[in-house]
Amino acid sequence: MPLFRLLFYYEYLHFKASRGLLLLTGLLLAAGLYGIYYGTAEVARQRQHLAELPALARHQVAELQQKFPGPAEAGEIGYYHHNYALHHPTAWASLALGQRDVNPYYLKLRLLGLQGQLYASENVNPAKALSGNFDLTFVLIYLFPLLIIALGFNLLSSEREQGILPLLLAQPVSATQLVVAKLAFRLAVVLGLGALLSAVGLAWARVPFDGRVGLWLALGGVYCLFWFGVVVLVTAWQRSSSFNAVALLGAWLTLVVLVPSLLSVYVAAARPVPQGLALAIQQREAIHGGWDRPKTETMQRFFAQYPQYRDTTTIRERFAWRWYYAFHYLGDQSAAPLATAYATGQAQRHALAQRLAWLSPALSTQLSLNALAGTDLPAHLAFQRSATRYHDALRAFYYPFLFTKTPFAHADYARLPTHSFTSPSDTDAAWAGLGQLLLSTVAVYALGLALLRGRATAHR
Amino acid sequence: MVRSIAQKEFLSTLRDRRFAVLSLLLLALLLAATLVGRRGYATLQAERALAQQQVNEQFHHQPGRHPHRVAHYGTFAFRPRAALSFLDSGLDSFTGAVVYLEAHQQNSVNFSPAQQAGSLIRFGELSVAFVLQTLVPLLLIFLCFGAFTEEREAGTLRLLLSQGTTLRQVAWGKITGYGWAVALVVVPALVLASLLLLSGEAAAEGTDRWLRLTLFGLGYAGYFFVVIVGAVVVSARASQSRAALVTLLGCWMLGCLILPKATANLGAGLFPAITKAQLDAAVHEEAQHGINGHDPQDQRAAALKAALFKKYGVTEEKDLPVSVAGVTMAEGEAYSSRVYQQHFAALTRTYERQNALSTWASLLNPYQAIRLLSMGLAGADFAHYVHFQQAAEAYRYQLVQHLNGLQARMGYGDKERRLNAATWRAIPVFTYQAPPLGWALPQMALPALALLAWVLGLSWLGMRLVDRSATG
Repeated sequence: MPLFRLLFYYEYLHFKASRGLLLLTGLLLAAGLYGIYYGTAEVARQRQHLAELPALARHQVAELQQKFPGPAEAGEIGYYHHNYALHHPTAWASLALGQRDVNPYYLKLRLLGLQGQLYASENVNPAKALSGNFDLTFVLIYLFPLLIIALGFNLLSSEREQGILPLLLAQPVSATQLVVAKLAFRLAVVLGLGALLSAVGLAWARVPFDGRVGLWLALGGVYCLFWFGVVVLVTAWQRSSSFNAVALLGAWLTLVVLVPSLLSVYVAAARPVPQGLALAIQQREAIHGGWDRPKTETMQRFFAQYPQYRDTTTIRERFAWRWYYAFHYLGDQSAAPLATAYATGQAQRHALAQRLAWLSPALSTQLSLNALAGTDLPAHLAFQRSATRYHDALRAFYYPFLFTKTPFAHADYARLPTHSFTSPSDTDAAWAGLGQLLLSTVAVYALGLALLRGRATAHR
Repeated sequence: MVRSIAQKEFLSTLRDRRFAVLSLLLLALLLAATLVGRRGYATLQAERALAQQQVNEQFHHQPGRHPHRVAHYGTFAFRPRAALSFLDSGLDSFTGAVVYLEAHQQNSVNFSPAQQAGSLIRFGELSVAFVLQTLVPLLLIFLCFGAFTEEREAGTLRLLLSQGTTLRQVAWGKITGYGWAVALVVVPALVLASLLLLSGEAAAEGTDRWLRLTLFGLGYAGYFFVVIVGAVVVSARASQSRAALVTLLGCWMLGCLILPKATANLGAGLFPAITKAQLDAAVHEEAQHGINGHDPQDQRAAALKAALFKKYGVTEEKDLPVSVAGVTMAEGEAYSSRVYQQHFAALTRTYERQNALSTWASLLNPYQAIRLLSMGLAGADFAHYVHFQQAAEAYRYQLVQHLNGLQARMGYGDKERRLNAATWRAIPVFTYQAPPLGWALPQMALPALALLAWVLGLSWLGMRLVDRSATG
């Protein structure tokens, strides 16, 4: 197809001669590289912090061993000893940081009631969190459409405005062929840049080479295709360049900024999650009430769930650790319905956002990439569930010590359960997002082509 | 002459269908944002006030307990939202709602709205400040980009100048006209905001609130002035309308989208902060060298005990009029709190250093100036957040020390006894007094000065550029 090649070649010459477009492409490349650098540096810092925690824990064990030189009461150790639940990032997190900066990526757990410890925050600079992360997904989702708009807003209109279009169409070339060749060149530039940045990002972040690489590329590619579809749609309108520019920017503003921010308000109103505060209050009240209730009552309720300890000695002394941890456990139990409601409320809120994401391709791409990277709310909720299981394991470890009054020896520290959790990649959610994205892309192309066919090409 | 140009510009703007549609959309968005913001504010505020009241009552209705038990029972401090934060929620989505106050340790402020939301929240939330800071400038750009270029392209600029008008007068006329037009969009929202403020809870600290709202309005007036003058100057210097539009849109993207994020990220990268685990470990490590309240064998505790014996001239603990455990605990709390304060101040300084880059960037970028100014006036900026954290910690400290004092006065064998329920009712609860405007203003000095510099600088330098721009 020599004609196509010729048109393509002339587009290339045009592009090479346009200083502004070259500058913009270069700027985007630089922004993308900075995004990759920032994301990998941030994740490397989190990894380093996670790697330092075992050392902190060892240091504390040494301190406890000094404090309790001989065999100690297990209750004392459980009270003081810090266990860390670790939430490791996937390699993908470097490219899509998601919510990993506002959600804690480790939890310090003691044997006490879990609900009072599960929602602790990490040190976060709120001003920085408000501004958001300059990672590769930001460049892809916010800035790539702007390059596409800059490349495509005068697709046919500039030829028309310069009076070249009638000359061109006098040749054996149809307007559609012209648009296709011009689009093909621009698509090659944008997808080439996207592929280059993705390749650098994937290599830099040391992402394992599996199906997710294809999914990432597909999401990024289809997202760019969507924006080319919007360009086709506006081009088919056949208005002036400045009208096109304003219309395309309006579309960008609506889809990337306005719709998500309106959705944010709607989702928060439609799925309120007020139980967090109530949960904190309920758990404290239940636990501290334990001090004032008769010991036998507490122990009977505890034994109902742990019958294996029913035959242990009755507590006659003023204080016993097994009683203390029993009412901590019962406190968690009394807050359990609220905790479940809180977690499901958050999950439902996220699910609603995902369901409505088709309204904004920017949003469905962001949610899909974050799901792929395991950096969104569901990953954090999964970490909380994993930390809960870890706390269960700790209790299961300590209870025999407490109820059979076995002293806690120095060697027992090494037998304590440890925890490590790596975010799962939610590829199902990413596939669903890709489906949404494909649908909107097909819709916008169908509309654009219908419009392009329906209207005779205006020559001037 | 300036006046009649302004009138002409104002009227033709109103007659422009595109402007009418866009500004009506924006006005609707602004009014919706005001109402939505107010509702969100009221919901959160009611939720937190109710929770605070509940824990206060729980504290006051405790049965007879040992004071150290009460210190471990502790209480919660819920962060009330500032009255004006319904206009600009600032950092509120990223700062926690509640902190648990207990003996021996300083807890994090938990349950921030951002933690309970998915990535959706990172796209930004609709608020009055968002509309005013990012969308109104876009409207202004579409309004102003052709100010000079269109007159030149139509050849009317020459006609105007031939009547003895100067370029500068044309520019001021247009700026005034556009100013009136934008006032039509913004003022109704501010009036609605004032009405909502009036209808809000009691007019206590009323003047402070009104002053803040007035400065809020003034700040945005200055910001819009900068945008209008900037757009008119670009239009005067540009060869074509299209070039002016592209330049202005480029500036908008750079200023509203890329620079704020880039400076915040760069700042955070340059000055890494320590984690909560590191902070706690460091505080613990240093406090260990002092007196540990739960460690009666500790050397320092022994020294304190010896000093007490000497002071009261006794040799046995049971002869002391005070409880050794209570006194030791008070000393331990004082020491560890002092250590914590130092570390917390260092962390806050690190964050301030991280944010300094963004603050200084307000000299380059009026968007960043108004953003800081706006959230500061709304009482939802970093300084206000730190103020709350410090108030909560100050209350925690004095509560725990009061309880330690009670324990000390119980004398020997205090662990076997309890204080009666009336004791807890006499203890004042946590009430948070948001800082007055006079406290907040110095924190916002740099962005305020930056905005002022933009206003004055553009009026002077911009007009000189207009003077020297092409006439036809």
